Amino acid sequence: MKEAQIEQLIAGIKSQEPEQRTVAWRSAGSVGAPAIQPLASLAAERNHEVGRAANRAIWQIVRSAGTPGQEEGKSEVIGALKALLTGETPVSLQRDIIWMLSEIACADCVADDLSALLQSPELREDARCALERIPGQSSLNALREALQTVPEDFKMNIVQSLRAKGEEVPGYPCRKLALAERAG
Amino acid sequence: MRKGSQIARRKFLTTAAKSVGLGAVGFPHIIPSDVLSAPGRMGANDRIYIGHIGMGGRARGLWRELKGLRDAGAATSVAICDVDRRALDRTNKDSVAPGAQVYHDYRALLERKDIDAVVIGTPDHWHGVQFVHAAESGKHIYCEKPACCTIEESRAMVAAAEKAGVVSQIGSKGRSQPEAYLMHRYLANGVIGRVHHVECFHYPSPVDDSGTPDSDPPPELDWDLWLGPLRWRPYNERYCPGRFRWMMESGGGQIRDRGAHVMSCALWWMGADGTGPVTVKATGTPPDQGVWDAAVLMEVTYTFKNPDWKMTWTQMPEEDLPAAEERTPDELNDEITPIKRPGYGAIYHGEPGTCMHWGGDGGTWAERKVRQWQPPAGAKEVYRSPGHFEDWYECIRSGRKPIMDIRAGAGVANLCILGNLSYLLGRELKWDQEKQEIVGDEQARRLMTRPQRHPYHL
Repeated sequence: MKEAQIEQLIAGIKSQEPEQRTVAWRSAGSVGAPAIQPLASLAAERNHEVGRAANRAIWQIVRSAGTPGQEEGKSEVIGALKALLTGETPVSLQRDIIWMLSEIACADCVADDLSALLQSPELREDARCALERIPGQSSLNALREALQTVPEDFKMNIVQSLRAKGEEVPGYPCRKLALAERAG
Repeated sequence: MRKGSQIARRKFLTTAAKSVGLGAVGFPHIIPSDVLSAPGRMGANDRIYIGHIGMGGRARGLWRELKGLRDAGAATSVAICDVDRRALDRTNKDSVAPGAQVYHDYRALLERKDIDAVVIGTPDHWHGVQFVHAAESGKHIYCEKPACCTIEESRAMVAAAEKAGVVSQIGSKGRSQPEAYLMHRYLANGVIGRVHHVECFHYPSPVDDSGTPDSDPPPELDWDLWLGPLRWRPYNERYCPGRFRWMMESGGGQIRDRGAHVMSCALWWMGADGTGPVTVKATGTPPDQGVWDAAVLMEVTYTFKNPDWKMTWTQMPEEDLPAAEERTPDELNDEITPIKRPGYGAIYHGEPGTCMHWGGDGGTWAERKVRQWQPPAGAKEVYRSPGHFEDWYECIRSGRKPIMDIRAGAGVANLCILGNLSYLLGRELKWDQEKQEIVGDEQARRLMTRPQRHPYHL
């Protein structure tokens, strides 16, 4: 049953008709976690509109999974998203995955994954933002530890998140109004 | 700028100047304002020195709308700023800002101690950060609507302005239009009874059918600084300039672009500033293609309690829009003009009557029976704004609260934000106005914030 649903979803996403793609991605929430991997494969499609529809389908699954009372489905979705945080997934999609996790993942279940990404020059800023958004002690601890391990040029980014979480971090004057700063 | 507005503003400035013993064109000149003033308080010469943050299309409109104050010697625009060299070049070419110092980075502009106030006309995703930074720098603020993109930003903006004691005005200038005053007076006097439903209507958000791929940004544009607090992504020419309005992250579609006008009028006229809905439920139709992702069609219901009323926001096909009133030539004058924007407005449903307006931003048009209503003896009077910039200026001088200060602006922005969040999540949201937070939905609660890219943060 689920396989047929996934097949139908993917066929809709690959359609050359814009309306059919939209109908397909909007229905993705009911298909859920099993569709994430096949959709991720389509997200890097050369046809931009097909790739965009696949991406929006994954977002739709995430938005559906966060519905209050859907804990079981949410865990599966989080697991499927985490499985995509590898070098085989395009960086642009990994960025999206990180932000998806920031909406629904609990700190205990993603803090380690996101901490590891703080060492990635391409993904560290998104991972830092996700840890900032996710409440809980594990995400706070991950940021505290990162302050000791990340390169010097990224420490102020970590400090920004710690302060957003209410931490006092002496020794790092805020530079939000300083000129010639650029994002890391 | 409409002729009527210019006239109203000239009248105001004359009156305002006389009230402080100054001629309308005789404001004392060139005393650096920081010599005689303190942050948050006018100097003795009553001329404010203004820096303009953003010089794109709408920002140049703001520049033009400030002309009345400049011409009266009440304001001098001394600095302009934009991250796109093309916008600055257009400004120079049009001689829009002769003599103003040009900046690339707004933070350099904020460092100037001689600047009393800023006019923020940047894309929406910059409003919150720049507003807070300006307040922390002691500048009075006029900020284009909608006030902000997240609930967290709205809270921070209110807190920053109140802590700094600066005067802020959000650019929902529909409140300051001549016919907005007529609508307000009509409703406040209960001519249609108790209003139980405000039905806002608007034409759809556009669809990007260009198929434009990502590319390198043009050399004149500082793409990193344009993105600012937003998470990084490659440049696409369908993001800017102006097109940010149709992106959920940076604009939010018609519900934010025009909702910040039409719903602003509603809260003002309903006496509902400072209140908020208890539930918000939205449905909508997304675009079928392109990079823009704001809802094309949309239906949002806001339920208010104590007193009980509801507001709906509907983006509908053009052919479903209510017809605009035909105005006869003999009705027209400096303030009563033909309806130029029939595609949006609101119907107020009372017990037992209804009334209607079109527009709600720089043009607001009330239906005939509202315009022709003559207040009986003892009728309730309501505030008549001298013009949106003029109201702000007068409040800087007097310390009075502007017609659309940041508390009011944040309240309206929150409505727009909550509508879009409910649409994105596909479910009803519950809102606690007292605590300024969504309740009972962890994902929605997390979406009240959007962590910002370093160093562009609140």
